[in-house]
Amino acid sequence: MKRIIFLAIFAALYSGTYVFGQDKSHFAIQYDMGFGTGDLGDFISKPSFRGASAQYRFAINDNILVGVDAAWNIFYEKKDYDTYSQGSQTISGIQYRYQNEVPVLIAADYLITTDKKIQPYVGLGIGTMYTERAVDMNLYRFELNPWHFAMKPEVGLMYEISNKTSLKLAGKYYYGFKTDDLDSQGYFTVSVGFAFHF
Amino acid sequence: MKKNVFYFLGIILLMVSCYPDGPEYYEDLDVVYTNYTESFDFSSKSTYAMPDKIVKVEGNLIEDSLPEFVQEPYNSQILQKIESNMTALGWTKVDIADNPDLVLLPAVWTNTTVIYYYDYWCWYYPYYCGWGYYYPVSATSYTTGTLIMSLVADGENYFEPSGVWYAAANGILTGEYNTSRAMKAIDQAFEQSPYLNTK
Repeated sequence: MKRIIFLAIFAALYSGTYVFGQDKSHFAIQYDMGFGTGDLGDFISKPSFRGASAQYRFAINDNILVGVDAAWNIFYEKKDYDTYSQGSQTISGIQYRYQNEVPVLIAADYLITTDKKIQPYVGLGIGTMYTERAVDMNLYRFELNPWHFAMKPEVGLMYEISNKTSLKLAGKYYYGFKTDDLDSQGYFTVSVGFAFHF
Repeated sequence: MKKNVFYFLGIILLMVSCYPDGPEYYEDLDVVYTNYTESFDFSSKSTYAMPDKIVKVEGNLIEDSLPEFVQEPYNSQILQKIESNMTALGWTKVDIADNPDLVLLPAVWTNTTVIYYYDYWCWYYPYYCGWGYYYPVSATSYTTGTLIMSLVADGENYFEPSGVWYAAANGILTGEYNTSRAMKAIDQAFEQSPYLNTK
């Protein structure tokens, strides 16, 4: 039932006619909730509610936008008192784990429809991702700071609020490839924010 | 609508600016580290000796002078805790003259770090800092305490005494609860060293 209601609302909004004649080029800022996967998810299992991203998109034509993305997510978890062993060495204590992810990418989006109030799109980004991984234990900090080659597939939609503003919702997956220091790092974001059209 | 947009941006900035917290209590920083010689067969040994005083490692010893020792009642509390853990693992305490398999040597030391803050007035009195006056100085400090336990082998296979097990418990000294934290750390050191079990 919920699904039917959701689909009905979605269809009603989706069938809205194109009113404002927006320029597709925009600058967007979004709040990002991050969910670590793989090695990052093992290191910090808690989701990140500290994150934001900024996107600039230039419309080449009605459907294709190109631009740049910059984002920042902070992952954090206080681990309970625990014991960690390596070889003959063992250490017990509380660990404070931090991981900052800062991807900077060039990106392209394809708008699936352009003449409706709701405009779904798919996108792809490629670039670099700076990782700052830190473990605080006792008075010491163990830190790694690799730069990854990174990719980011994205799906989302823009909902026209006015001629100059859209609501922008997106699901993104940032993936930084393995480096000499650190395994590949990946995380999903659920992003919500606004796009300001020129 | 513009107003709403700015509210929303404000919320984003506020959430992003909340950098995660770190340790809240002194004991959150307590750690216990252990290491041992993997080739040493603890299970074939059964006796150990331990002095009745704990050395306090402080600065450089002047030649021919005796080291300082931990005061009572802390000295006895720590030694009893170590002994009860060793007994639970199947070890028998003997006198040093009775040729024990191993010798357990406990020691403690403290280390005070002083942090100086300069020119923290400068944000308010820029003229004070900018014209060659002395900077106001403020200082804070913290003291860490470390309890070390070493098991030393001095037998047929060893030409000179060699440490085969080390445990170090470290934390910030607070003036209160230090003893209970030390007791907990001793228990933890033995708990995370199951290879010491001779039973």
